[in-house]
Amino acid sequence: MMNTPQQVKNPSTSLKSRFITRFLGALTKINAEDPISSPSPTRIFQRYRRIKVASNKSMAYSVRSRRIWSRAMLSRFRSRRSAFSGRRSSVKTTNCTTINVTINENKTAKGGLDMQTDELRELVPGGEAMDVCNLLDETAHYIKCLTTQVQVMRKIVDFCHLSK
Amino acid sequence: MHTELLSIFSKSKPQSKKKKKEKLVPSSSISFIIKAKKKTLIMQPCSREMQAMNSLLNPTQQIPLQDLQINGNRHHHQQIHVPSSSQFQYPTPTSTTHHDDSFLEQILSSTTSFPWSDETGPPNPEDNNNAGFNYDEMVLASKLRQHQINGGAAGNPFAAMKMMLMMQQQQQQQQMMLAGRPTVASAAAGGGITTNHQGGEGSMQALYNVFGDGSLHGTMQAKSFVGANSATEMTQSQGSGPTAGEAVTAPEKPKQRVRARRGQATDPHSIAERLRRVRIAERMKALQELVPNANKTDKASMLDEIIDYVKFLQLQVKVLSMSRLGGAAAVAPLVSEGGGDCIQTSANGGSHPRNSNGDQTPSANDRLTMTEHQVAKLMEEDMGSAMQYLQEKGLCLMPISLATAISSATSRSRNPMINHENPTNGSHLLIQSSGGDGPSSPSMSVLTVQSATMGNGGLEGGAASVSKP
Repeated sequence: MMNTPQQVKNPSTSLKSRFITRFLGALTKINAEDPISSPSPTRIFQRYRRIKVASNKSMAYSVRSRRIWSRAMLSRFRSRRSAFSGRRSSVKTTNCTTINVTINENKTAKGGLDMQTDELRELVPGGEAMDVCNLLDETAHYIKCLTTQVQVMRKIVDFCHLSK
Repeated sequence: MHTELLSIFSKSKPQSKKKKKEKLVPSSSISFIIKAKKKTLIMQPCSREMQAMNSLLNPTQQIPLQDLQINGNRHHHQQIHVPSSSQFQYPTPTSTTHHDDSFLEQILSSTTSFPWSDETGPPNPEDNNNAGFNYDEMVLASKLRQHQINGGAAGNPFAAMKMMLMMQQQQQQQQMMLAGRPTVASAAAGGGITTNHQGGEGSMQALYNVFGDGSLHGTMQAKSFVGANSATEMTQSQGSGPTAGEAVTAPEKPKQRVRARRGQATDPHSIAERLRRVRIAERMKALQELVPNANKTDKASMLDEIIDYVKFLQLQVKVLSMSRLGGAAAVAPLVSEGGGDCIQTSANGGSHPRNSNGDQTPSANDRLTMTEHQVAKLMEEDMGSAMQYLQEKGLCLMPISLATAISSATSRSRNPMINHENPTNGSHLLIQSSGGDGPSSPSMSVLTVQSATMGNGGLEGGAASVSKP
């Protein structure tokens, strides 16, 4: 139901293929920088984090800025990067929180479902600044992208396992 | 009955205008007094009006309404109640202190004074009607007085006035009135009766407006006998009325609002609300298709499912990224997540499972076994702690295939004790090779690899380092 024309007509430009290319590129980069030889748990953990971030990032980049959640994710990455470099660009987060406050004050229409919508807002990146209607829309697309991500990663793992 | 009255209307058009002014005063004055105190009464056609009045008044006042049947008894009443009219005048000064009663009496006195002039006149059809009407009025008034004298409730005057108004309007309908007048009167009466016990002033003023407008024309004729329509007419007529008229329109307005909602909602807020709800329902349907186990009909449970599924997917991404730590592009094979089948305890068995820091006295096998058990236990709980345990032991994990390859390669040249480590969290093989024969020892199940920090060279593919502690 969420099939956009892009994904149907041209497989080379589908979300999946874009994600795959980006992600594999990121993985090779990580492997080049950080060989497996590092056995310490911290390094392992770091590596795991890097891979996870790479995966999410490549997915977000594949979606570009077409979705609110991808935009929020990308801005989060950029702010993190700039935070590493010393600059504080947490303006966006504060904006999000202020918007969150105002929106939550007005969203008393569905009294019983407020808790769940809030939880959903936390899960979906950039969900604080969305009304319920858009939130559901973004959630649907986010779920679709997540499933794609998981499928691709699993396939990679299986492939690597098989190709020993 | 309807047709009869309608025919009367059609005839009475030219003559009605004369009587309009004459009739306005008493009717309006009476309308001032009328308060519908008790239950609402839907306007019925004339005969039914009487019955309704009976039903209304009987439980309240037990006024014998048979003598109020005017249609055939006008003259009879005239004769009977003429003396009572004089009686009527008498108690006026002795009215009770009740505000409404005094007001009522004033009105009644004013109204009853009026027909007496007609009474003496020759019985014209109009005058006769007038007289009859007034006599009916007087009938009501007499009844009212009687009840007042008998110490009736305060509600009596109003009900009695209601009755009077009914009589009056009936007379008006039968007389030559303006085409719209009787309907207005009936509408007014109906409205007056249908209004619940509002402030008397409000309803009365409303009724007065109805009469005073004169804007109610033949469009209302056909509807005059239907109570609901009269109610709407009342509201329509009072559109320009004072705010006091809201007292009358208040009961009708909820009806109108409900009607509007059921049909087409013209209110922009409700339209927007409905649109929003439809959109949200669409989105929920789309989500239902994406999320497995989406057979829930309840919106809340559906949202719960969605939340759980999103959490699950995010967790899967995490786990998969952990399992890929071996490097997708690297040569070293990765181990799948089937951790349980990869770890096999050696046949020696764990005699001292908790002896982690243990003594060096046990043989290497035992120690490795113990370590192996310990690591297995830790791995079940938490990967980080397992890794830390291994590290402090100077061990690491490695996939079996690689370990066997390395052990076979190194066993020829090195010590039988080979410790390999490969940080693959997926299965966390703890492999130990005992003896020099690497690949030819099927019992070999655990191969622990020395940490690469030992700084041994000769790494094969950078996967493992072999050294002896």
